[in-house]
Amino acid sequence: MKLRRRILKREELESINVSPLIDVVFILLIFFIVSASFVKIPGVEINRPMAYIAEDLQKNTILFALDSDGVIHYGGEEIPLSQVGPMIEELRREVDLPVTIQVDLEADGAQLAKIVREATLTGAPVSVATRKP
Amino acid sequence: MKRRLSIHQAENVEINVSPLIDMVFILLIFFLVATSFVNEIGLTSRHQDTADPKRKLDEPLVFEVTARGQVLGDGLELGISGVGSRVRTASARKPMPVILKIEEGARADLAVLVMDAALGAGAKAVKLSAVE
Repeated sequence: MKLRRRILKREELESINVSPLIDVVFILLIFFIVSASFVKIPGVEINRPMAYIAEDLQKNTILFALDSDGVIHYGGEEIPLSQVGPMIEELRREVDLPVTIQVDLEADGAQLAKIVREATLTGAPVSVATRKP
Repeated sequence: MKRRLSIHQAENVEINVSPLIDMVFILLIFFLVATSFVNEIGLTSRHQDTADPKRKLDEPLVFEVTARGQVLGDGLELGISGVGSRVRTASARKPMPVILKIEEGARADLAVLVMDAALGAGAKAVKLSAVE
């Protein structure tokens, strides 16, 4: 009798209690599910222009970047201006997403205007990403 | 003997959670890898192309941004503060739309600053248009 009880006790001690671990993992999982937004990053470093009245933009958005050489980036690829409109239309077919343009402060303003025009023609709300002064 | 039986029963009742943990871990790693945190602040142009020609539109205020870094309104050099005050006067009764003509070669940060000034002064919408 005595021997059996001792063995049982040792077994209980050896198994680690995993329930706090599962709790933590679940909390992390829920956090990531809630905050998940599957946005394609343009993949270039952009020096944003300054603006005083900038407001928070929607997190789930179609992101384009216009770099200082006038090249348009989307999802890590360079795309021509003529592709911007059809691309936005394709992406907006299922979900009503806004468009955000990250523009470099040394970029050509006329090029920015052309991209904004292409995006506006699809009916999407268009924003320009800025930084705080 | 009787005691051993009760131990067996207790073991049977306990659910094996390790597959569940495995799955949760896989989901966790998936979301960790796939999530991208985009936190942008910015300006929204609020301009919409109205195809209906019958709709009467307010006469918009027109400003120009030149490649030499000037901000013009009616041919006069205004500067960014000048744009702000003009838009504020015009929008006192009703928010007015603004058209911003940007010359080829003008810097984007200047265009954004003018847009910022116009929206800050109460413009209804800012339309950016490129000028050759």
